[in-house]
Amino acid sequence: MTGGIARFIGLAGIAAMAALALAGPLLVGHDPARQNLMASLPPPLSEGHLLGTDHLGRDMAARLLAGARITLSLAAFAVLSAACFGTGLGILAGWAGGITDRLLGAFADGVLALPGLLLVLLLAAIHPNSWWTLYAGLALTLWVEFFRMSRARTRIVVAGPAVEAAQMLGLGRWHIVRRHLWPAVATQVLTLAAFGAATVVTALATLGFISVGLRPPTPEWGVMMAELLPNWREAPWTVMAPVICLAFTVACLRLCAGREEEA
Amino acid sequence: MTLKVEDLTVCIGDRRLVGPLGFSVARGEPLTILGETGAGKSLLAQAIMGALPRGLNATGAVLLDGQRLDSLPERARQALWGRRLAMLPQEPWRALDPLMAAGSQVAEVHALIGRTPWQKARSLAEQTLTRLKLDRRAGAALPGTLSGGMAQRVAFAAATAGGAGVLLADEPTKGLDEMRRDEVVRLLADFVAEGGILITITHDIAVARALGGQAMILREGEVVESGVAERVLSAPQSAYGRELVAADPATWPLPESRPATGDSVLRAEALSVARGQRLLCAGIGFDLPAGGRLAITGPSGLGKTSLLDTLAGLIPPSAGRVERLGRARAPFGLQKLYQDPPAAFAPQVSLATSLDDLERRHGLPPDRLPSLLQRLGLAPDLLARRPRAVSGGELQRLALARVLALAPAVILADEPTSRLDPVTQRRVMAVIAEAAEEAEAAVILVTHHATMARHWALEVLDLERNAEVQTAA
Amino acid sequence: MPLAMGAASRRLAGGGMLRIVAGRCVQAVIVALVVGVVGFAMMEALPGDAAFRIAAGRYGYDAVSAAAADLVRAELGLDRPAPARLAEWLGHTLVLDLGRSVVTGERVAAAIASQLANTVSLAVAAMLVALAISLPVGCLAGLAPGGVLDRVSAVLSIGLRATPAFLLGVVLMLLLAVELRALPAAGHGRASHLILPSLTLGLFLTAVLTRVVRNAVAETVASESFQFARLKGLPLPVAFWRHGLRNASVPVVAYLGVQAALILEGVVVVESLFAWPGIGHALTHAIFQRDVPMLQGTALTLGLAFVVLSFLVDLACRALDPRMRA
Repeated sequence: MTGGIARFIGLAGIAAMAALALAGPLLVGHDPARQNLMASLPPPLSEGHLLGTDHLGRDMAARLLAGARITLSLAAFAVLSAACFGTGLGILAGWAGGITDRLLGAFADGVLALPGLLLVLLLAAIHPNSWWTLYAGLALTLWVEFFRMSRARTRIVVAGPAVEAAQMLGLGRWHIVRRHLWPAVATQVLTLAAFGAATVVTALATLGFISVGLRPPTPEWGVMMAELLPNWREAPWTVMAPVICLAFTVACLRLCAGREEEA
Repeated sequence: MTLKVEDLTVCIGDRRLVGPLGFSVARGEPLTILGETGAGKSLLAQAIMGALPRGLNATGAVLLDGQRLDSLPERARQALWGRRLAMLPQEPWRALDPLMAAGSQVAEVHALIGRTPWQKARSLAEQTLTRLKLDRRAGAALPGTLSGGMAQRVAFAAATAGGAGVLLADEPTKGLDEMRRDEVVRLLADFVAEGGILITITHDIAVARALGGQAMILREGEVVESGVAERVLSAPQSAYGRELVAADPATWPLPESRPATGDSVLRAEALSVARGQRLLCAGIGFDLPAGGRLAITGPSGLGKTSLLDTLAGLIPPSAGRVERLGRARAPFGLQKLYQDPPAAFAPQVSLATSLDDLERRHGLPPDRLPSLLQRLGLAPDLLARRPRAVSGGELQRLALARVLALAPAVILADEPTSRLDPVTQRRVMAVIAEAAEEAEAAVILVTHHATMARHWALEVLDLERNAEVQTAA
Repeated sequence: MPLAMGAASRRLAGGGMLRIVAGRCVQAVIVALVVGVVGFAMMEALPGDAAFRIAAGRYGYDAVSAAAADLVRAELGLDRPAPARLAEWLGHTLVLDLGRSVVTGERVAAAIASQLANTVSLAVAAMLVALAISLPVGCLAGLAPGGVLDRVSAVLSIGLRATPAFLLGVVLMLLLAVELRALPAAGHGRASHLILPSLTLGLFLTAVLTRVVRNAVAETVASESFQFARLKGLPLPVAFWRHGLRNASVPVVAYLGVQAALILEGVVVVESLFAWPGIGHALTHAIFQRDVPMLQGTALTLGLAFVVLSFLVDLACRALDPRMRA
């Protein structure tokens, strides 16, 4: 599959998911939190419930859409914050050099002292089940990646003849950022953003599954998977639903990221 | 011993890249294949060795002492490598293993191919390196710490340690300054004198002249001329051959020396340049008149580029001073030309955008750039492309136009043609001289090519002999 | 994938040994400070009055009174301003005085010591699984880039890489333990209990490791220096052994620094999923139970393990690549 088609498919998938998330549970017409213990675990396509209900009778489709909202909004905010701060500070550090570079670099190294997931886990321990704490932790961890990439590229570009020539010709700083620095980091920023979003989605589900991130009754996909797993035998399709949503979202984001290999 | 090639052609799929060509090389009579870089000359060496990259294939016969090599199965042919056929790679600092000591890379050939015990192999390697004027320290060092010339000698020792009688040298003097180039030529000449068969591939005519024997000129993969080197290089029959010979700076007419026309624009007094702690050169002094042409020469490592940066005001001098006078005092009175033309432009925008930015920034009259482009022989449709899509020669002329648009008093040219092939080099140097004269701009040229400096500039400052300014004689 | 993707381990490339050691020491101190601050913040965030809680813990909820709580408050200095208490708290953390678990009452250090063996055995088993797959597959795929093995392993790698560790574990658990009943689903005790967790973590690690090995081998074999070694006359296996391996191992060993982060993150998830009684499992339980001393102890252990592993990778890189010894 060529890069272009893959990206397009990825983008289309995410756009579809985002549209559904925006429309939200209202689309399906059920309240995701409303329980009905009498009607638990019917299969999908039963009357009134497009995807069936979970073990407490809550409508699956509504919960999945609510979960999409939580996941995509967290991913979008975290990645956007990390990208803006990381890239901006990285360019600053790479260009200014000297003490600015060292201070920012030291801060970045400090964040990397612990593995990312552990850092987020610890922060989430202070305020459990908090969207904002998870957002802060994830943004903090992702920021470093953008910072390092843009700092490294900026250093190379600024030391090269093209920037020197531009300076000798009297073209100012704004020109250098616009024509030299931004194009050098732009594609990488987009790739890192897509990978970062995939990472956030996965991390959120992981933390939810082991109950240290968002917790029941929050309709987050990882939480739902953990809740529904004991009912595997009776209602496998109900467990599969959040899995499919997660897999679809992550796959689309990775397709958007393109062929870049990690590590 | 004879190496004979008949109808050798290298193709990629259906497309013919090089050939068909044929020649016969005997002991004592080296063959030099000349042509511009990228004419597929390297593919010839790879085809003869049997080491073509995936996707390319060769047809035609290669015979060593009557035995056909091209029809041998792959393993048998690879068994000849090092033992009967040796190849000297283009950029030895990339070909040597960066993680293994230089001496070991020679010794291992003796041990594993010559089957000598390791002790003996190591002492043999040491002997070879000493003969090539490399001391023990160089033998124990990693290739990354060796200079270009030293790395080339190590590569030579390693390539020939297997005892091969045939040596294919692929651009052996690429990136080396004149003195190192002469050293490598001597190495190759010694190989021939000891009874080896040598085929050299190069774009440098001086190398062909020095080696003698036979010469063959290639253009776009086809043979344009061949014969005895002396005859081909002094009286070429083909048009391209004549162009190539004329491109050798040694054949350029000496510039007419003019009396000092105008006032000084740039003066250096007791200038010293250092990078970090290391002092690179000291006691430099000169007086550059308006419209003058000064060349600064010397081997690599003596700080030519740093000196230029000091003159441009990019780094402060460690001692002495640089004074700008007259027109050079204007804000953009000093401009610079760079060694690698595409690297001096913003890579991801079109050339038109870059030039527009310049126009807007300085409020240039709208016809200034177009007229300069026309004067320098550049077609306007070039501007729609990005830097990498334009040839080196055209891009360097574009850089010159860009610089001239600001009407500078001094142009500092840092090896502006070292990445270009000889024919383009001649054209670009001529253009720089003419355009600068018209614009009444003085030029300071930095180059490692001493001959070119003498045949182009009015004054030469040789850093090796430490700051003696000589007028072209 | 680790949360801080490729940059997970800050490599102190180049420079003297002293600089590397100093850097890792600073990292260890930062870990301790972060864990300490988080622990302190957790304590502060607990609802209710800490003094009252501790007094109730001592005398029982029925016997406690406001006066008793005040005495406790004075005794433990709980009425001092926050920065002073934080400083004291951090002081305890930095000297590794970890206290006792609020839930079980046993000394945290003792509990961790017994859990550490379990975590180490899981990590080692997982690395063995990962290496057993990545090294042969990666080398063979790298030696024949574009071939069948290369393409198939690339597709598998992409799929596996995108799967979160917990999902991988759940799938394996459902397949092998629930449906096929071949292995026990969770727990600890017999050797067969180690299989599912180490298989999960191993497969998770191997997804990217295989590609890293493959890329390193392919690049080395295509490099000009490898070509030259062949042209000098060295046969393929000899050239690979003398020149290829060392050059190819440099990026692989560097990647192991990133792997260290992946292993530690993976250990937390896999142990929790399979109820493997190691440090990761203890950490997640300490979080739900708000057992602050236990949380600090386990987090500190994992964090310091990361520093140690990163340091070992630094040493290995320096040993392999003499260019780094400035």
